[in-house]
Parts: sequence; C-alpha cells; structure tokens
Amino acid sequence: MFLYFIRIIKFSLQDIGRNIWLSLVTIIILVLALFTVNMLLVVKVIGGTAVDAIKEKIDINLFIKPSANEDEILALKARVSQLGEVRDVIYVSQAEALENFKMSHADNPEILESLRELGTNPMTPSLVIRPKSLDEFDNLINKINAMEDEIIESRNFSNYKVMLNKINTITEKVANAGLLLSGIFIFITILVVYNSVRVAIYTHRREIVIMRLVGASRWFIQTPYLLSGVIYTIFGISIIMGLFYPFLTLLQPYLETFFVGYNVNLISYFYGQAHIIFGLQFLGVALVNIIASQLAVRKYSRV
Amino acid sequence: MKALDRVNIHIKPGEFVSLVGQSGTGKTTLVKTLIGEEKIDQGKIVVGGWDITNIGQREIPVLRRQIGVIFQDFKLLPKKTLFENVAFAMQVCGGHPGKIKRIVPHVMKIVGLNNKMNRYPREVSGGEQQRAAIARALVHRPKILLADEPTGNLDSLNAHEIIELLLRINKFGTTVLLVTHNREIVNRLRRRVITIDNGQVVIDQEVGKYIL
Repeated sequence: MFLYFIRIIKFSLQDIGRNIWLSLVTIIILVLALFTVNMLLVVKVIGGTAVDAIKEKIDINLFIKPSANEDEILALKARVSQLGEVRDVIYVSQAEALENFKMSHADNPEILESLRELGTNPMTPSLVIRPKSLDEFDNLINKINAMEDEIIESRNFSNYKVMLNKINTITEKVANAGLLLSGIFIFITILVVYNSVRVAIYTHRREIVIMRLVGASRWFIQTPYLLSGVIYTIFGISIIMGLFYPFLTLLQPYLETFFVGYNVNLISYFYGQAHIIFGLQFLGVALVNIIASQLAVRKYSRV
Repeated sequence: MKALDRVNIHIKPGEFVSLVGQSGTGKTTLVKTLIGEEKIDQGKIVVGGWDITNIGQREIPVLRRQIGVIFQDFKLLPKKTLFENVAFAMQVCGGHPGKIKRIVPHVMKIVGLNNKMNRYPREVSGGEQQRAAIARALVHRPKILLADEPTGNLDSLNAHEIIELLLRINKFGTTVLLVTHNREIVNRLRRRVITIDNGQVVIDQEVGKYIL
C-alpha cells in the first residue's frame, strides 16, 4: 500500500512536470482566486473595524448654559442616566471643555491666541451621552428632545446612523462584488484544472493504455490525476500565504494611519486565524480541484 | 452485422494456436473479448476456468495480470529504457522494488535483451522492441500469452526470431494464441490453426495451414 502511495505521488508529480507551463497557469489562476477570497476577508475586517470605530464615536451632546450650577447639572446627568437606552453619561465641565478645545487646536496658534485675547472661558459645559446600542439611537434622541430643563442650552445629534448605513452598504457592495469575482475565479479554476488534467491524461494516453494492458487497477491509473488537483492546491495555498503576509505588512501602516486610535491589525488577525482561514481555503479549493479532476478523469480516461 | 458470430473455440493449456484470417474479420475483437476489453452479447467466455463473460471493472486488472498481451506496434514508452518499460508493468501493479530488480533482468535474459536493458526503444531494432514487449508481457508469469500481429511491423528475419521466442515461451508451458495474417509463418509453424472469416470460425485444424 505504501509503495502504491509513493508511486501515485511520483506519477502525479510527473504529470505536473511534463506539462509544466499548463501547471503554472493553473497555479497562477488558483492564486488569483485565493487572493480575491482573502481580499474579501480583508474588506470584511476593515469594514467591521470602521463600523466599530463609528459606533464608538456615536454620542449625543447636551450643552448646558454656563450659568447653571454644578448641582443642577449633576441632577440632569442623573435624570439622563436613568433612561434605559443610555450606556453612560460623561459630564464635561466648562474648564474641561476649554482644555479639550485647547488640546484639539494645539497646532493652531491663531485660535489659541484669539482665546487668550478673549480673556474668559467661552466654552459651555456639556453632558456627553452614549447609547447602549445603535438600534435604540432614535428612541434616545426622541427622549432627549422631549426632556425639558431650563439649564439645557442646545442639543447636538450628529446623524451617525446614516453614516453607518453608508459604510454597511459600501462594505456589503464590496463583499458582493468580491463574492462575484471569487465565483468567477472559482469557475475559471474549475475550467483550468479540468483542462490541465485533460491535457495530462492526453499526454499520458500511451502510459494509460499500457497500464490497463498490464493489469494496473483503475484506482492506480486515475488517482495520480486526482492527486494533481490536490498538489495544485498545496502550491496555490503556499504561494498565497507567502504573498499575502508581505502584502498585509505593506497595507498595515496605511490602515493604522486611517484608523488612528483603533485596533485594526490585519497581520495579527491573519496570523491568529491562519489555521482556520487557510485550512478552510485549502479544503474548499482541494474539493473544487478534485471535482474538476474527477470530471476530466471520468470523461477522458475510461479505464 | 456481428463482429463475432457462433465462435466456439476451446484452447487447451499449453497449446500454441494460430488465429488467422484477413484484416477486419474479427481476430482482434476476439483478443479484446479475452482480456475484458470488449463484452459479448451472447455466449460464454471462460479463461483458465474463470467465467469472464460478465466480468466486473474491478476484476479486469486481475484478469490482465494472468494474460500477457503483445501488439504489432509494441506499445513501449519512448522515454523509458527497455528495463524501465518492463519494470513499469510491475511497478503499476504494486511490485516490490526488490522483486522488480530480480525478475526483470531474468525475463530480459529469456528474451535475449540482457545486454540492451539500458537502451531506449529508439536505439534498438523493431525485433528487439517486440522482444521487450514480450518481456513486459511475461513479468507477471502469465498462463496465457496473446500475440496480436506481433510480426506485422518486422522484416522476415526479425519476425522469424519473434516466432522462435514465442515457441520457446510455449515450451515452458505458457499457452500462446498468435493472431496473424502472415501465411508463411503459419505454414512453417505446423501447429493448430483457427481460421476466422466474417466473424465466424470457418476452419479449425490441429496441424493446419493458412488456407484463405
């Protein structure tokens, strides 16, 4: 049995070697298909990070009149905190608001100079309200709007939901396009592998005739061609792993610049999940290749 | 029209039989039925006591290891040496390397190719290529050897040598069925001759001649 296995591997490698250019084309198509699939995954991870980043930023600012005293503000804070849709409320005092403003404009000396010339603190205290979930955002806005209090100066609701929906739509569209592209590549892979095996069988037609003649089993004759599909998969997955990690290393700095302050580490994601990501891809592609090889073997190597 | 019709032949173990007839009369079809390549609609085929009339796909390799077959076009692999061509038959059937190293030179010696084992088919004569094909057919120690027009591509000297080799193999106890339309060879053999015409056995003589 071991001898059979060794010889099947040897014959399979011979099939690949004797049609080396066709084998290379097959592997390149396979790598392109896998690259598309992995890019799809990257888009999914980036999309997810973008959505999480925006969710983190979703809040409602309730600006308080500067004349309001601390007790009144804390009482309002307590009222708001009691709302079921609220995750937390942060009180930003007038002094803190000024500090925050200065920090965010630290690189703009003209603004800081104007502030100094003003002589007083022009900022207003505020309550920063963060919702428990995005689904309850509309309810929360309605309740905050309905809340009457003399110390409330104004309310600021940026419409993050629209932005989130847009990101979700874009991510979904990219994912769908990627899915379509992956589908096309998988279809092309099936055709190319089918053709490679067909050509390999044609190249070996004399050997096949002799093998049949001298009593080789059907299993022994056909298995090398099925194994070729698996060998293409091993090469394809190895190459994509070799290419994809350097690609992610190049991409990572751009992502970090874009998502400042957020944890978006594609490299560690792909390292951490490597066995699942590439394991599943190996199984999927091997299955596709075996099916393609099986179709070709059935049609062209009647034993 | 039937390729073979009302063919009733019994070949005894150890016999040397010539199957003759003109081209397209059904000789090769008969050989194909004996190795499970073609199925018959009616009747029965028994090889070495084994009824192969409805032989299954899985059993065909077992049958073929018991029947050696050689053809007019030798069917050798051009990129393999003669030794490798013969060894190939054992390799694809799971033969152990040690056994291959032992048996192949022995069989090559029987067919007279022991000094040309490392030559490629293109480097030897047609007769030597046919000898290599015979060696390949013999590595499984078959009980029966089917030779389908083995001298068709050879000059008379080489053809004579191949027939001599088949006779020697027959002497060792292997049943030989020689399919040919070479009148001279058949007449010189003075062995059993079965003549086929239009898919039917028209003559079956114990010591026959090419009559058609």
